[in-house]
Amino acid sequence: MQAIQFEDFSYHYPKTGTGLDRVSLAIPYGSFTVLTGANGGGKTTLCLAMTGLVPHFFGGSLSGQVLVDGQSTAGRSVAETAGGVGIVMEDYESQLVSLTVFEEIAFALENQALPAALIKERVSEALAAVGLDGLAQRELSALSGGQKQRLAVASVIASQPKILVLDEPASALDPEGAEELYALLAKLNREQGITVIVADHDLARAMPYADTVVVMEQGRVALQGTPTDVFAKMLSGQIYAAAVPALRRLKGRLEREHQALSDWLTADAAASEINALLSPQRRLSLSA
Amino acid sequence: MLDIQQVSFAYPGHAPALKEVSLTVAAGDFIGLAGRNGSGKTTLTRLMVGLAKPVSGQVLLDGQNTIQCGPATMARAIGYVFQNPDRQIFRDTVAQEVAFGPEQMEWSDSERAEAVAAALNMTGLESVAAAYPRGLTRSFRQRVAIASALALKPRLLILDEPTSGQDAEEKAQLMNLLDQLNQQGIGVILVTHDMELLLAHSRRAVVLHQGEKVFDGPTEELFAAAAATQVTEWGLRVPDVAAVAGKLEKPLGAVRSVEELADRIEGQLRGDEREKSGAPV
Amino acid sequence: MKNLAPLCNLLLTIMLSVWTVLLWDPLPLAALLALELMLIGYAGQAGKLARPIFGLTLVAGFFAIIQLPFDVAVPTAIASGLKMMVMTVAFLLLFATTKLPGLTAALVKQAHIPYEYAFLFTSALRFVPDFLAESQAVREAQTCRGYVPSRNPVKRLISYAAMVEPMVLRAISRSETMAMSLELRGFGSARRTFSQQIEFRGRDYLVLAVLAALTAVVVIYR
Repeated sequence: MQAIQFEDFSYHYPKTGTGLDRVSLAIPYGSFTVLTGANGGGKTTLCLAMTGLVPHFFGGSLSGQVLVDGQSTAGRSVAETAGGVGIVMEDYESQLVSLTVFEEIAFALENQALPAALIKERVSEALAAVGLDGLAQRELSALSGGQKQRLAVASVIASQPKILVLDEPASALDPEGAEELYALLAKLNREQGITVIVADHDLARAMPYADTVVVMEQGRVALQGTPTDVFAKMLSGQIYAAAVPALRRLKGRLEREHQALSDWLTADAAASEINALLSPQRRLSLSA
Repeated sequence: MLDIQQVSFAYPGHAPALKEVSLTVAAGDFIGLAGRNGSGKTTLTRLMVGLAKPVSGQVLLDGQNTIQCGPATMARAIGYVFQNPDRQIFRDTVAQEVAFGPEQMEWSDSERAEAVAAALNMTGLESVAAAYPRGLTRSFRQRVAIASALALKPRLLILDEPTSGQDAEEKAQLMNLLDQLNQQGIGVILVTHDMELLLAHSRRAVVLHQGEKVFDGPTEELFAAAAATQVTEWGLRVPDVAAVAGKLEKPLGAVRSVEELADRIEGQLRGDEREKSGAPV
Repeated sequence: MKNLAPLCNLLLTIMLSVWTVLLWDPLPLAALLALELMLIGYAGQAGKLARPIFGLTLVAGFFAIIQLPFDVAVPTAIASGLKMMVMTVAFLLLFATTKLPGLTAALVKQAHIPYEYAFLFTSALRFVPDFLAESQAVREAQTCRGYVPSRNPVKRLISYAAMVEPMVLRAISRSETMAMSLELRGFGSARRTFSQQIEFRGRDYLVLAVLAALTAVVVIYR
């Protein structure tokens, strides 16, 4: 069984008629997937379809199905599906509905009618997991943008979902904030086994953490696989090639005329291999 | 054209946001303004356009103190493009939207028409002049915001994270547009977290750290190997291109993009082959 | 009051208002005000509320004085100024000592007001700071492209479109996201927990008894 499985799923929004076109996609439990592609290609719709909000909230026509944690989203309410999958939406500030941090995290749990003592416990666990310990009584209006985002994550993981979906979570953060967010997601992925799916344009910052990359194009899955494979195919097939991280673009350019190079993860690795390529010793060994 | 002299600023009840920052912007500059969230970048640009007034120090425009000038007056000289275009777009067509500023200035009909046409032309929006701006994609709405600022014929354009929410291709097109505007003599101050863009497009970099100006110089120098550790302290990320170039044993000079770096490396390798075959280098 | 049940605090506030309506002599009204100020001091809120109370005093004083030219007796004018003070301070006291979620929970579970209405109230408060920030951001964006509020009132009204439309559209998109968030989080489910402590304890019943006794005194006294 997969964490998320799209089976020949097509969907059209009622107003615009755009959406998803025959998407087949399997995301295994425990994976860390980055979802990318040009704007308008269907990233957000794909995220919403994983939560059942597409089609339940928007209406529209569909064929095929989406299985989340083994269950079809069509036959369950959004709240039921949300028990297994949590989402942090692009406009995460509007997703927060309470006055204080505690209430915000407790909100979904209270709606599930969990006992008060258990709610308290879950709230403090969630706060600790995202590094907001001690801020339970803080008012939302006193939080920074980055803290609000962590709160959105905390309020989702408090329901203990197996899958976490984030739609462009790092767009308002500075590089350090984005780095911290990815480190947090990697920790949740590693330590709690949560399946993580992140939509992002910046693949360089996701590269150290992701084991799978999915490229969407015009409502279809254009590419899917390991980062190395997908980056190579993006370059060779000119599919959203501008988004390939700089190191891989450099590698792709050099491999056009020279031998295969290794899959650099850091600038250091790239520099040492290029140094070897350019070194006089190597020149001697070649001419010998 | 713009001279910021020892400017300090603090929001009431908070630690100072800017401490004695001085900065001279020449006509036609292309400056990348970088720093952590909260380092004072936005405060500095707000002071430039009169949205905030310095607690001490002064902002001079063409030698004149701007303390009495509000943002609407400053807009004639300095255009400010906010991060989110949806906070300003409110009219039915792109052309009407762009005409808003000239109307507020009570320019004559012909002046107005000329200004709108020029702004649409500079931003490549002529084909959507009659379109409903809210129905356009985010990257086009961003262009509408830029055109709205350009309609007042400013000599300097400040853009706050203009690439946020844009995909890789839209980003490249937007930066292309900024390069073109700059070639036409319009100064650009680009506030960004994206160091790859900063390196590729801005000739001069200014870095703020805890309200102080800690770097002001050619962008390549910002990421030179010696400065790299400091750059990290300031919360910036050294672009991979600069990091690789800085670690090569054979110095290839400053590079600004993947393409430039690849060209230089290939040039070296080709040189090797020529040496091997005995041809003159 | 911080240690009392939210509903008990609400009843205290309501009873303070009721007594104020019943009483017409400056002296007992002044006593009520003194009681409120003591409670504020006891709750450790004196510093926080000093400024609003000072402002209120000025307004109430002004309110009392402007009645004098209209042939109102001096004690009556003072009493009406005091009434205004006592009632407003009662609500300041309530909001300074009682957390809103607790009050919501009390309204729903003990006063049997539907949760949807109580939630609407608190979530509206949640968006007030955001709304203010948003309106400032829109105003700034428009002034930076030349927006100057015209002196002509008709033109001024028309030019408000530049402010209002972006805000309305933002509010619509915000409420859509919020609606999705509510649906995801099971809002409106039949059973619900309130994690706040709202049950009455010994001291709450004691306060209720005192309230009842005082009400009797007030009714007999007048």
